[in-house]
Amino acid sequence: MTDDYANPWAYRLKWAYMLLLVTTLMSPVLYVMYISFNANGFGARAYDFTWEWYRLVFSDELLLNALRWTFSLAIVVTLITVPFAVLAAKYYKTAQNKLPVVFLLLAPLFVPPDILGSALLVYFKSLNSSFIWLGDQLGTTAFDGWFRLSFFTATVGLIIYTIPYAFIVVLITMGRYRTEQTEAARACGADGWRAFWDIEFPQIRAGVFSACSFCIILCFNEYTRTSLLKGGFDTFTTVLISQMLNTGMSPQSYAMSSMVAFTAIAIIGSIIIFTLIRSESLTRTARAKAEPIMSS
Amino acid sequence: MATLDTKSPGPADRQAGETRAIWRERAGAWAFYVPLAFMVVFFALPMALTVVFSFFERTMFWMEPGFTLFSYNNFFFSARLENFLVSMKYSALAVVICFVLGFPVAVFIRRSIPQVAQHRVILLFILPFMVSEIIRVFALRPVLQRNGLINSTLMDWGLIDEPITALLYTHTGVVIGEVLSFLPFIVFAGFLAMEAVPKFIFEVCDDLGVGHRRRFTDIILPLAAPGIFAGAVFIFVNGLGVALLPNILGGPGAVNAGLIATQAITALDFPLAMAVSAIMMATLMGLLYIGHRLFDLTKILTPLN
Repeated sequence: MTDDYANPWAYRLKWAYMLLLVTTLMSPVLYVMYISFNANGFGARAYDFTWEWYRLVFSDELLLNALRWTFSLAIVVTLITVPFAVLAAKYYKTAQNKLPVVFLLLAPLFVPPDILGSALLVYFKSLNSSFIWLGDQLGTTAFDGWFRLSFFTATVGLIIYTIPYAFIVVLITMGRYRTEQTEAARACGADGWRAFWDIEFPQIRAGVFSACSFCIILCFNEYTRTSLLKGGFDTFTTVLISQMLNTGMSPQSYAMSSMVAFTAIAIIGSIIIFTLIRSESLTRTARAKAEPIMSS
Repeated sequence: MATLDTKSPGPADRQAGETRAIWRERAGAWAFYVPLAFMVVFFALPMALTVVFSFFERTMFWMEPGFTLFSYNNFFFSARLENFLVSMKYSALAVVICFVLGFPVAVFIRRSIPQVAQHRVILLFILPFMVSEIIRVFALRPVLQRNGLINSTLMDWGLIDEPITALLYTHTGVVIGEVLSFLPFIVFAGFLAMEAVPKFIFEVCDDLGVGHRRRFTDIILPLAAPGIFAGAVFIFVNGLGVALLPNILGGPGAVNAGLIATQAITALDFPLAMAVSAIMMATLMGLLYIGHRLFDLTKILTPLN
């Protein structure tokens, strides 16, 4: 029987290849982190460790303001996207015809950011013109600016961007949930909300929190759609990119990039470690329960 | 002094309570349609309207309703079409490289790593993906350029005398960027597809003494085809549509559909941008339709049903 475990060296080699691939994917980011601490900047042969560039980032008022906007955007998007993803996943589980649901929720993954951003930009500008025209016909200015490029339009763009990821994450955790438990709760007199909150939510909580983390990280990292739809404010990435394009990659830019990378890695790393610890403790508890009671 | 009202609720109160409960249930049922309605209004409709807008006439700062094929002529009878076809070729190359590098990893995770650890190992591939694509692509510049990490390392080791200049500001640079940006997706899609392959099939193959090559071509590939196809479409379409990659890593000849669209938006040529978007959407829909006819793409989500 050919088994991966039959030849330990083949098994180790496959592991080594996989880790090499992950390291290669991470190498540009790791390299940016490395040079962000160099006092001599990029390309210098000499390497002197410094925190100076990070200190400069935090003294930049423009950047701090952009961070505030990005954080607000991330919170609003997460508060809308995650409940949407939960509702959509619950609907998907019970739907007879799953194809339209899957198509609507996963199609944004396949549409390139520039194409989606352009389409939404023209759509919102058209809506705005139409509503202004409607207001003129009715003799009111109440509709002016409903769909002007603003925080609202940037939020819509980001919801469409993040919802496929949140949907998949929630759906994965829902895959382990048995709907009979909800039916049992309903049979005991609980209404739909109570059955969800007391029975289902505790079992999909990990997926919901992971979806929240992903949404926040994705909002902090997104550039193309946000830059097209944001209107008159700046986000973290738009400031970063404008600095990069106008003045080239400054040591400050490297420091800013590294900060985002550190934060994202810390969050994902925490999720991995937390789930590892949790599954370990659950395994130990299950094993303890399964052991026969020793008679003294 | 107030007296305690111990009266049981009357028929009117009971009816009001029942009505409230019925309305709550109805509202709960309708709530499931809210995300779908949102996606129809703010995703499906704008994407469908790109086709309509692409026939509009360009004005100085906007566009006006009409029916003209000017934007399509502007695309198909200019250097844009050639650029589009060239970027298609390089996107296809990126798909092949991603498949060769990434799919064996998906098979390995599914087959050789204990079930409890599989999803955590997959999270390793989410790590680089969680760092902004902008940062990752910009970060490739100091890695690929003349005095970058690759050239300086190879020269330090004495493997090359002159720095390799073809790594950056060429189509090669764009393909490297595409592979590093999108490779995790072939791993995710491949892994999901492999979850649909029952493990006992491998055991049967072992018992029958089927070789590795035949097992891969006759068993794994056909069963994992929906996932592989979905991953390939994702990489191909994004390779065609992400403006950032040719903008930062490509040379003057590296222009894809995304870059054409964003340049058109910058030049206030909205109908042209919409025409490019419509062509991209037609390409995507065509590929997904073919894939669905061949493999039934909903099978990818079978493990989650």
